[in-house]
Amino acid sequence: MLLLMQAAQTAPQWTERWVSSLSAWVALGFLGLVGVAILYYVFTGKIDLSGLISEPTGDASMSRFQLLVFTFVIAASLFLIIASATPPAFPPNIPNGILVLLGISSSSYLVSKGIQQSSPEGLSGRGPQVTIKTNSNQTTFGGAPVQCQADVVGLNDKTVTWAIDPIGFGAIDNAGKYTPPPNGQPTTVTVTATSNEDVSVSDKETIKVS
Amino acid sequence: MPFAQVIWFVKLLILVFVGGLAAIIAHRLLTGQINTTGLFYGTKKDGTKYFSPERVQLMVFTLGTAMFYLSSVTQNRTSGVLPDVPTETLVLLGGSHAIYLGGKAYMMLFKKNGKGD
Repeated sequence: MLLLMQAAQTAPQWTERWVSSLSAWVALGFLGLVGVAILYYVFTGKIDLSGLISEPTGDASMSRFQLLVFTFVIAASLFLIIASATPPAFPPNIPNGILVLLGISSSSYLVSKGIQQSSPEGLSGRGPQVTIKTNSNQTTFGGAPVQCQADVVGLNDKTVTWAIDPIGFGAIDNAGKYTPPPNGQPTTVTVTATSNEDVSVSDKETIKVS
Repeated sequence: MPFAQVIWFVKLLILVFVGGLAAIIAHRLLTGQINTTGLFYGTKKDGTKYFSPERVQLMVFTLGTAMFYLSSVTQNRTSGVLPDVPTETLVLLGGSHAIYLGGKAYMMLFKKNGKGD
């Protein structure tokens, strides 16, 4: 009789224990699968990390890099401390020094983005660029020259080479001044400015001659 | 003891995930699969690029502080307590960030290339 009573008392404890254990395994299995899936997708490139520390301009960013390093170091340290304790336990408190460190890192990133937002150059998601501006898009045979100006952004050498198409239909000098021919058939001339530093960077503008 | 196995599995999970992610990111940074082009270059107001010493010093202080803290953690990992960061380290790091941000603000907002800057 006594044995039966003891068995009746211990049975719920065992059931509770096995339910807790099973719940822990299910939760861990789920987290483990998520972790493995993330690692798999990162490894195979389905989660693209190539622009992890890049700006919209394509250049890598030091502010993003330092934020990545400190976030990883603090997170890894926290995991290490939790896992190394016996039994594993969350630290009783987070030291102020760590909070200040993360604060410096994050606020530096934010201020850096603020500086970039304050500059048109920092906002541009483009590479080097040449843009032609003209004082007019039309002229007449033997009429007033058209002054073209090339704005070069993102290159050290600001000079460009000017060209016109059709070739010989008027002339353009090194300063970008287009002089129309004295006579001929009405034509639309294409003016091209090509960067001397990077010939792949150019811009075109049309001038109607009538 | 079922919970001993759970604890072992948690440790394995953390090691594989954090270690694996760190290894992948470090490998891709070193091999260029994560873009690092222009990491040490800044942009002036007119869009030209320049070599930036303030970024180099920030990189040195960042990696130095990170390694210093990680070594401190590994030495005290069984204590169950996160080690604090010394005030001197925080001051140095704050100064490094101030130099970086000051240089960036000056070059991007005020400095143009060539004469008449």
